[in-house]
Amino acid sequence: MTVHLYLSLIPEALIASMLSPEEFGAYYAVGSEKRSRGQAIFFEIDPKFRSKEFRIEEGIQRCIPHEDGTPKRSIYISVYRVLENIPMNAIKKLYLTTQDGRTLELEPSKRLPLDDAGLHLYREISPVTPLVVSTDGPKAFYELIVKNPTSLIKLPSICFAELRLDGLAKDPKNAEIGDLPYANVEHLRSCLVDLHTKQVMTKMVDRIPSGGIPYRTIKNGIFIGNQEKLIFFALPEEKKLVDKHYQWWRSATM
Amino acid sequence: MTQTWLIVGIVSGFISLGAALAIYFWVVRQDPGSERARQVAKWISDGAASYLKRLYTVLAMVATVLAFVIAIVFSFNLTQLGSGSVDIAPSHGITMAVAFVFGALCSAIAGYMGMTVAVKANVRSAVAVSDTLNKGFRVAFYAGSVMGLAMVGMAVIGMSIIFMITGNPETVLGFSFGASTLALLAKAGGGIYTKTADIAADLVGKVEVGIPEDDPRNPAVVADNVGDNVGDVAGMGADIFDSYVASTVAAMLLGAAMAGPDTLKYTIFPLVLCTLGIFASLIGIQFVRVGKNGKPGAALNFGTIFTCVLFAAMVIVLVLTGGYDMSVLWSTLIGLTTGVVIGFTTEFFTSDEYKPVQETARVSGSGAAITIITGFSYGLLSIVPSIVGIVIATLVSYFISDASGVISGVYGIGISAVGMLAVSGMIVSADAYGPIVDNARGIAEMAGMDHEVIERADVLDSAGNTAKAITKGFSISAAALTVLALFAAYATVIEARGLTINISLRSPMVIAGVLLGAMTPPVFSALTMLSVTKGAFGMIEEIRRQFKADPGILAGTSLPDYNRCVSLAADGALTSLILPAFLAVGFPLLVGFVLGPDALGGFLGGAIFTGVIFALLMANAGGLWDNAKKFIETGAFGGVGSEAHKAGVIGDTVGDPFKDTAGPSLNTLITVMSLVSSLFAPVIAAFHLF
Repeated sequence: MTVHLYLSLIPEALIASMLSPEEFGAYYAVGSEKRSRGQAIFFEIDPKFRSKEFRIEEGIQRCIPHEDGTPKRSIYISVYRVLENIPMNAIKKLYLTTQDGRTLELEPSKRLPLDDAGLHLYREISPVTPLVVSTDGPKAFYELIVKNPTSLIKLPSICFAELRLDGLAKDPKNAEIGDLPYANVEHLRSCLVDLHTKQVMTKMVDRIPSGGIPYRTIKNGIFIGNQEKLIFFALPEEKKLVDKHYQWWRSATM
Repeated sequence: MTQTWLIVGIVSGFISLGAALAIYFWVVRQDPGSERARQVAKWISDGAASYLKRLYTVLAMVATVLAFVIAIVFSFNLTQLGSGSVDIAPSHGITMAVAFVFGALCSAIAGYMGMTVAVKANVRSAVAVSDTLNKGFRVAFYAGSVMGLAMVGMAVIGMSIIFMITGNPETVLGFSFGASTLALLAKAGGGIYTKTADIAADLVGKVEVGIPEDDPRNPAVVADNVGDNVGDVAGMGADIFDSYVASTVAAMLLGAAMAGPDTLKYTIFPLVLCTLGIFASLIGIQFVRVGKNGKPGAALNFGTIFTCVLFAAMVIVLVLTGGYDMSVLWSTLIGLTTGVVIGFTTEFFTSDEYKPVQETARVSGSGAAITIITGFSYGLLSIVPSIVGIVIATLVSYFISDASGVISGVYGIGISAVGMLAVSGMIVSADAYGPIVDNARGIAEMAGMDHEVIERADVLDSAGNTAKAITKGFSISAAALTVLALFAAYATVIEARGLTINISLRSPMVIAGVLLGAMTPPVFSALTMLSVTKGAFGMIEEIRRQFKADPGILAGTSLPDYNRCVSLAADGALTSLILPAFLAVGFPLLVGFVLGPDALGGFLGGAIFTGVIFALLMANAGGLWDNAKKFIETGAFGGVGSEAHKAGVIGDTVGDPFKDTAGPSLNTLITVMSLVSSLFAPVIAAFHLF
């Protein structure tokens, strides 16, 4: 059986597993006893990837089938400062798993999305997880966090998603909330207004956002980057998700 | 002429039944789809058949015992009871018992036909909708019309035959009591079944495990779909059958109590109205069509309005050419108009196009407590148009009829109730369409049909919810008028035994009766809703057990044991019926035999008042919460996953047993209590402690 390497983001971990990405997603979301549930976001890592930061070989050697022949589901190789030690060229595909274990596979995009005018809302996924509003588009936001040498807040690498603001991006004070499910909308509005009225480029909305990341609120996709580069995994448009990945979409929009 | 009308009535009943059978065979000839779809449909159909078998077994036992009691009690000449020498007339007792069993049987046959076609039409509608929306709609609506036509056909045949043989409307009362007993068991049992399965499936499926609605991995998903059929097809059908027959019988009794040369003519006039209603429904059903880009809801509403207008035209011709007093025309029309107006005002409180639902959805962002308070308050307000409508129909029909000098005022009230229900063939057709398309959507989901099919099935389903809300308003209001007529009939039967009935609030016995009667609907509601929570709790444990025992279920690699949940829901529903059934049948008798006829009159009054108010409140508040949640799910106020949605889900869950268990069973409860009182009135008149 093939051993896969997965970089999990919730929680941050490097895992060896004999399960395929779809099986791993289902296992990771609801557990082997199916007694739990929860969203999972993970990347498949190049199986040839090796690093002195991780004892990958040892993990792979321990990843052997159970006595009854069933595949080994997970061997945790590392659970701390993992993302910063994975080079971007080792990252292959992204998998978004819903709370009941339906998994969607995303390929890296060839180009980044265009920066549109208006304000932005980012949900950082790893290594920290705040909800942040910014005047910067995704690329500028990544550069601000990872590559700006003068910034006090600096991360070696980051994975984040831009979330939909719809009308709030241009008119945070008066625009209708529509189907945006964010908690404490008035606070979100005031944070967005602050970006207009105060000399700040980013503002934290929520230190500990609860309830995972509603996939339907992702504006265009997931970004992952470090000092070397930024990779973008585009989420297909709603129509394509409904047409081609109905079961996943239905579960993701519950 | 009287005999001719009875024969026309029987013939129209058989035409209605024949049309129902022809439509049934048309539905069966439609494409049942892929093997997977057929398999899913078979699970639902087997579950529904197994529940019906058990329900009818219980009913057969109850009916046998009650028939035995009726046969013995009515074998005595009750006018002589207490005088020392009593004539024994076994033939009368046996006739009453046979009428009772026949009533239950007719209702059971109508329910069985409706259920049989519904569980065949669900999958065929899902397959047809994959072609076009219109095809799916036609299959579902025509299948629903089998229930509507079978119901009115069986009712008119039954009532006409009994009256033709016995010539005594009190015997038809036995028929009505049989139909109502079945209706109570079918409606309350079906309501408990459907919500037990629905709540358990949602709480474990959506909340604990996070799987979507109608997901085949949920062990309770088949029970949930079976519940739609047993609660909303068989249960609602039996409920309207009961109101339909009871309103007709009440008017016949009041007609028979009038003196004059035209007594017989006015005694069978309610049956004539039913006959015209059958023809109007048969024609109206043909005009329910969805155009290329038409809306199913509009098509159903058009069908209802068209049938009502056609029926009104028929009644005008009948009254003008048949030598009837004009007051019966006005009474019929006021009943019919009030029914339609009440039905559509129900939509105001339960549709997401109007303020009550939108406002409840809007405030949901502040939490579940305010969702509950707002929805409950609008539910209380929703009783206003119905009560005002009932008051207007009662007063107008009473005074117009009383002023005529030909018919009595209370007879006019009875006729307005019959006018409201005469087009039940169409009303039930539109109502039974709802659970069929609901099932079609579930089957499309479980059988993995294309998402476009599911989206179209959603459109059909949404129209079904509105039709269901309108029918509930219609049936509750009709029941209110019916029991007012039965109340008058009760007094008439008592007074015919030489007793003067005095229902004055200055009498302590009457006050005691009013309070006991007013207490009964809330207690009945509590018992049925507690049965739902108890049953749901047991089923939740079973779903958890299955997930734990076989992890392959959630992984989608093995099938859950659907039968176990189906069986649990059936057990819970049937064993929970004992106390509610006693409240309906035993409690009025207990009050009558202990406190006397005046107290029983007060008891019926109290039960009618709180019963109607609770029924309207629960049906409308439940529908309002359901649609407020659905409104949020369309993307309003944050959409799915928002705080408003979480509160909306809680409101909807609270409202589920309101609108589908307790609320719709209450009109059957007050009808059964009124019928049992009227039926046993001669015995109570002779035997009472105080």
